[in-house]
Amino acid sequence: MDKTHATYEPRIVAFLCRWCSYAGADLAGVSRLTYPANIVPIRVNCSGRVDADMVLSALEKGADGVLIGGCHPGDCHYVTGNYKTRRRIVLIKQALSEVGIDPRRVHLEWISASEGIKFQSTMTSYTELIRELGPSPVRATKAPVHG
Amino acid sequence: MAKAKIGIYWAAACGGCDCALLEVNEQILDVVAAADILLWPCAADPKYSDLRGYKNGEIDIVLFNGAIRTQENRELAQLIRTKTKYLVAFGSCAQSGGVIGLANQSSRDEIFSTVFGDQANWPQLSSNQDGYDLHLPEFLPRLTNLAEVVEVDYVVPGCPPPKQIVSALFTALVAGDLPATGTVFASSKNLCEECSREREQLKITQILRPHAHESDPDKCLLDQGFMCMGPATRGGCLAVCPAANMPCTGCAGPTANIRDQGAAMLNTVASLIGTGEEGEDQLAAEDAILAQFDDIVGTFYRFGAATSIFKERYHERNATTR
Repeated sequence: MDKTHATYEPRIVAFLCRWCSYAGADLAGVSRLTYPANIVPIRVNCSGRVDADMVLSALEKGADGVLIGGCHPGDCHYVTGNYKTRRRIVLIKQALSEVGIDPRRVHLEWISASEGIKFQSTMTSYTELIRELGPSPVRATKAPVHG
Repeated sequence: MAKAKIGIYWAAACGGCDCALLEVNEQILDVVAAADILLWPCAADPKYSDLRGYKNGEIDIVLFNGAIRTQENRELAQLIRTKTKYLVAFGSCAQSGGVIGLANQSSRDEIFSTVFGDQANWPQLSSNQDGYDLHLPEFLPRLTNLAEVVEVDYVVPGCPPPKQIVSALFTALVAGDLPATGTVFASSKNLCEECSREREQLKITQILRPHAHESDPDKCLLDQGFMCMGPATRGGCLAVCPAANMPCTGCAGPTANIRDQGAAMLNTVASLIGTGEEGEDQLAAEDAILAQFDDIVGTFYRFGAATSIFKERYHERNATTR
């Protein structure tokens, strides 16, 4: 680990659908499962509500990773919202890859309301992955072009 | 009433915006009758020293086209800002960086190699020729739009701005009746509102490119699989490109209630892509359609890359990891 990583704590924004993944987070909570405090959960009504601008804005504003949690295929409360977000994430990841950003900084995971343990393990492993990747290059301090 | 004083300037531009000013035909004569043109490097010959000689705020309005690519572009933007009451970002490059904003994906050295070839041919910032010291303006590390350097009062979008938009600006200018600052001289609605093609909101089952496939002239291009930026792009041009069988490339920038035009278009397209049915058994088929894109940034951020997260090249080691 180099010097810049020594004091690095990943900042991760998690958009969680209220019917599945956010309920999964609640279950993890009432089950007293612990997971890293690097996750900033934001409740959305459906993973399909998470538009590309929300993901890119999070990265632009300094998130090191963005996690989207939705219902398993077939389980979406709004029937097809999770499929729409899945396609969106595929395109976002490709766009990030094109400009040299590790696409793993955006991650989609299906977590149901009964999967408190999966919520815990996903948050833990994703935090570790983002810790390994280091600070996002988007928030790396660079001299402004017009100083 | 004293004649208004106006200026027209080009920074990192192709010259198309200056031509677009003349698209209004004889209306330009009204402009010349109502105003003195103090600065117009493309068509007249005033020097920068003339510009420096004006009092602060002496010019009423300057139409600034082109992006900020060199130190000269930046200095002139700052100088013009002090000399003019109102500054107009004229055209896509001044508004959002334009097509040339995509050059930010390449380093200065890569750009120079492509343009000038061997390093021996690269321009030198300083040189001595026949006893004269010659200086070239510095090539900035990243291209930006005008608003990243100085405050902008009005935006006239388009690549180049279409006739009716330029005409609307000139009419306001000649009448001395400019709208509130911050006005964007185009429709606040999207291009689809002006497009005569029939839209059925069909599923996109394949991604087509205009040079490789012929389109049905009556049906929505997006329905057919051509990446038309209409849904996320400001109208005002009367949808001339779709009328000529070319998908909209988004030159007018985002509609009034969108922040990120490319992201908005990406959402639209992601929602439309599919086989007609949604379900777990369709995911592989959807991935096959999604894999037909080979340049997301160049497609959805063709004119707006320089003002988005894609404004520069990043260098993460595993950027191609899935």
